[in-house]
This record gives sequence, structure tokens and C-alpha cells, in this order.
Amino acid sequence: MIRTTLLRCAGCILLALATLGIVDDRAWAARQEPIRIAFISNNAFDFWTIAEKGCQKAEKEFGVTVITRRPARGTPVEQRRIIEDLLTKGVHGIAISPNDALNQKEFLDEVASKVPLITQDSDLPPGSKRLCYIGTNNFEAGRSAGELVKKALPQGGQVMIFVGKLDVQNAIERRNGVIAALAGVATFDEASKLAAGSYPLKIGAFEVLGTRTDNADRAKCKSNAEDTLVKYPRIRCLVGLWEYNPPALLAAVKDAGKEGQVLVVGFDENEETLQGIKDGFVQGTIVQQPFEFGYQSVRILAAIAKGDRSVLPESGIQYVPHREIHRGNVDAFRQELKELKGK
Amino acid sequence: MKKLIGITVFLILLYVALLNADPSASSPQNHFNLGKRIGFFGLLSLGAGLLIIAGGIDLSIGSVVGLSATCGAMLLTGEFPFYKHPVSPWLTIPLLLAGGAVIGWIHGILVTKMRLQAFVVTLCGLFIYRGLSRWLAGDVQQGLQGQFREWKQALYSKPLIFDVADYTIRLPKFFLIFLGLLLIASVILHFSVYGRYWFAIGGNEKAARYSGIATDRYKIAAYMLCSMLAVWAGFLYLMEQDSSQPSDTGNFYELYAIAGAVLGGCSLRGGEGSAPGIFIGTAILVLLPNFSNMLGLKSELEYVVIGAALLFASMMDEFLRRRVSSG
Repeated sequence: MIRTTLLRCAGCILLALATLGIVDDRAWAARQEPIRIAFISNNAFDFWTIAEKGCQKAEKEFGVTVITRRPARGTPVEQRRIIEDLLTKGVHGIAISPNDALNQKEFLDEVASKVPLITQDSDLPPGSKRLCYIGTNNFEAGRSAGELVKKALPQGGQVMIFVGKLDVQNAIERRNGVIAALAGVATFDEASKLAAGSYPLKIGAFEVLGTRTDNADRAKCKSNAEDTLVKYPRIRCLVGLWEYNPPALLAAVKDAGKEGQVLVVGFDENEETLQGIKDGFVQGTIVQQPFEFGYQSVRILAAIAKGDRSVLPESGIQYVPHREIHRGNVDAFRQELKELKGK
Repeated sequence: MKKLIGITVFLILLYVALLNADPSASSPQNHFNLGKRIGFFGLLSLGAGLLIIAGGIDLSIGSVVGLSATCGAMLLTGEFPFYKHPVSPWLTIPLLLAGGAVIGWIHGILVTKMRLQAFVVTLCGLFIYRGLSRWLAGDVQQGLQGQFREWKQALYSKPLIFDVADYTIRLPKFFLIFLGLLLIASVILHFSVYGRYWFAIGGNEKAARYSGIATDRYKIAAYMLCSMLAVWAGFLYLMEQDSSQPSDTGNFYELYAIAGAVLGGCSLRGGEGSAPGIFIGTAILVLLPNFSNMLGLKSELEYVVIGAALLFASMMDEFLRRRVSSG
């Protein structure tokens, strides 16, 4: 008898607590109601530190809260888990750089039906439900890198391309861009056809030996470059498509005592790459503007959350122009970067 | 040493195949590169091998390499969050090694005294140390910023050069460091009481304890050695690569370390293995990707070559062992 009474009392108390909890939760939601925007990267590299600065600037300007997430291993599985957690927590918009655009499309479309979703840095395939894409035109950026290769090797010669993974859209686009510039073809499709051919690929005065991947392991990239320098003694130019590639390539070139003879062309603004440009061992680098990725993503998502859809670009794509950094402007760029990171 | 016949033959075959894959494969530069990589991965496999012989396992090796390289860079350049003054390498190295010893000690205590599974303890370690290095570094790449040239030269870039007849041989420092430590490990493992006890514990821990061996103490020592070797490898990584990416440096290296040891005859059931075997296992693992690159294979195919070759090596090893033991 006493036991049942005790049980009932306990039940009542639990129920009361639960109700209080709900009420409290609602009260809290009504009081705060912050607009929460999620910004998800595709790995944990430095590049995203600058993008997050852009987020922070927009956060202040537009009065929203930004949640930034960086998947450590750079896998779609991690991104999925991050998004699921964020949806549970409740967000008003998501900006993501998909790791595996082709296969994540279905999942991300599903997410886009619940929450405004935009892509940045790397886009989903055509026909997806993302509201817009903010990022670099990677094919054009690759083409600019190809122009740097031409400058490095006015007489032509052997070239090898290095990247973390070749099943990521921006890697494919950049690679094809490089090939397009070397071959002098105009469209992405023409370049794809060339790139799918057999290697070594002879285009004009240039010979593209292949593309070496390293699974985003910098030490592995360096080993690949060392092996390339041994196997192809006549090689004159190494192209690195991802941020950590050019410094790894430069380290391999230096270890082989070929600095200056074998030039590096790269992407992004790793400090070692910039020092390499200053020293004359790196021909140049193509930089994106991650700060703008962060800033624009948050600006657009904040406006959508507040009900203003006019911010969306009509074509669904907002390109952030890339820049070419070479010996002439590297000092100024470094200064700019310092200020950006210091803020 | 009968047990090593299979993989030794395989290593020789692989080496011959490599030399025939491309004329440049036999160049001194390629041998220098190979020696350097064997030196680096050998350190990890040595630690993993000793531990496996004593019946343990460590899945946190890669994360410890990353943590060590990241903390090393931050200490040297004065960017460490809790101590913003540059620390001399003379002090940084002992500090890191002490850190490694503590990590290994914790693993050992949790496995022996708390009776937790080594797999679980070190898997948690894998996550914790990776997270720690990302958090300490604020997820920002940490580098030497062009300093410490003389340390880089001493430990990495300046090879030991000597002339034999008409040849100039350039021995990479990493290789020499590894050989030195391997030699010490061989003596400990095969000619000292410590080694005997490790084999005994790995073979049958209960029997070892009942015969009066302080099994816990020896197991903890093995965990400490493994983590300290990983820390040392992390520091060498920094010397070679100049910088460390907190979220990526050392990822999956535990697999290479364990694979090298197991390929070299260390049984995952414990109580079996040898120092020369660890050397051979590591050498095979290092030669395979180089072989693929020298053949000029597409990167996509590299893992197929590695996997198939390892499978073939294991099959050949088993076959030869049976022949030897039955004949």
C-alpha cells in the first residue's frame, strides 16, 4: 500500500518536472529566438579559419548567431552526423561545402526541404534543391593556374598534378582547368575528354604525366612528389591543387636540391607557399577569398531567415572571384592576410 | 629465424621488381627516400611490435604522432597556449618524451589495473589526442616558421656520407636513428630478461603471473615505450615536414605501424615476433607505394597493388613456413 502511494507520488513529481521543463523550454525559446546559421566546412584546414572570420563579421553585422563546424577527417559521414545534430538543435540556415557532392545530393536535398540550405566552396550537381552556390569558379581558377604553368615553362615540358582526392568536384574542375589552359581548349567538357585520356597526356609543348592523390595526407603528398622527381628527372613543374599540396611539393623539391629548376604552381595561401613565391621557387598561387565565402553565406542565409529572398542570385550561383598571387604582389597580399587573420 | 624466410624472400622479390620497374628506381636519390621512410615508419612499427609481442595493442599511435608534432611546433615557436615563450629543443624533446611516457603509462594502468580492453582504451586515446591537438592549436597549422635549421640538418636533412670504393653512400638520419633503436630493441627483446618476460606475458599472461613475473609492470613499460616512440616519430615528422596539421598529421599511421609489425611476424595473439621481422615488415610497406609510383600506375590503383601484394606475401609466408616445418 505504502509502496503504491510512494510510486504515485514519484510519478506526479516526475510529471510536474516534465511539464515545467516544457514550459520553461518554450519560455526560453520565446525570450531568445536568435537566428542560428550553421557554416560547415569540408575539412579542418587553415583555409576555414579565414572563412570563419568572414562569418564572424557577418554575425555582428546582421545580428545572428553562427555555428561553425569542421569535420576533422573530411568525410561525408561526418558531415551527415554534424547536420543531423544541428537539425536536432534547430538552425535557421545551413551553408555547407559538400565532401562528396554526387552522393550527398539526396541527403542534402532532404535537408534543404526542412531548412534553407546553400552550398559554398564546392557545389552540388545540377538539379539539386540548394538555394544557391557561393564560391570560386574552380574551372576558371584551374585555368589561371594553367596560365601560371605556361609562364613557368615558356618552352613547355613535363608537368605532374597533385591533389588530395580526385572524387571531389573542385579537384576535378581545377584539374580540368589546368589541362584546358595548357591545351588551349575553351569548355569544361572538352577538357574532361582530354583529362579522361591516357597518360602521359601530350598537349602541345606540354606533357601532363598524371594526377597523384594522397588522401589529404601531407606527408604522403611529399612522398609522391619525391617519387615523381626520381622517376621523371626532366620534370619542370609540379602543380598542387589543394592548400597543403604546394608546401609539400616545395619541401620535396628542396630535399632533392632542385629548387628553382622545378617550379611549383599552387592554390591557396599557405604561409610556406607564399614564402616560396618570395624566394622564387613557386611561380605563383591562385587564391580564393574564403573570407567572402563565410561573409556572403551568412549574409544570404540571415536575410532568408528574416524572410527576404531577394538576396538570392538569379542564376543560383554567386561566384567569388579568385586572385593570382605572384612575386609582384605577394608582399601586399601577405600583409592583407595578416590583418584578416589578426582581426 | 626460420619464420622470417617467407617475408624475406618476398622483400627481395619486391626489391628486384622495384629496380626493374623504372631505371630511376635504382638511383641513390630513390634509395635515400626509401631509407628515410623506412626510418620513420620503422619507429612506429617498432613500438607497435614490442607492445604486440607483450600481448597489447595501441590504436592511438597516429594521434600521438599528430599531438607530438603539433605540440612540438607550438613549444618551439612559443605558440603553446599555456606557455607563450619559445622553448629550446633541448628541453622540448625531453618534455615531449615525458608526455609520451605519461600517455603510455595511463594506457598501461587502465589496461592492467582497471582491466579495460586495450582496444577500447587506445581507441579512446585515438579520439582524445586528436581532439586535444586540434583544440590546443585552435585548428590552425603549426610550423617551424623557417627556424631550427641546425636541428633539421642534424636530425633530417644532412645525411651521413661515406665512400665505399667508387660509390658515395648517403645514409638518411631517420634510417640511422631507426637502426640504432632497432639494435637496442633487439638486445632488449632477444637477449635480456625484459624481452623474455614480454614474450612470456604475450604468450600466456596468467602462466607468466603465476611464475612470479610482475606482469603489470612489464606491460605498462611496453605501453610507455610504444607511446614514447610515437612521440619521437612525431618530432621527426616535424623536422621533415616543417609543419603539422592538427587535424590530419599522423591519421591512420597506427594501421601502418601495426601492419608493419604483423607483416614482420608479430602475432596479434601476442608472444611472437622479432626485431628483424619488424624491419622487414616495415620495408615491405614502404617499398610498395614506391613501386606503384615507379611503375607510373594511376594513384587510384595504388591501394589495389598494396593490398594484393600484402595478401600474396602472407600466402607465400604461410606456404613457406609449412614447407620448412614439415620438411
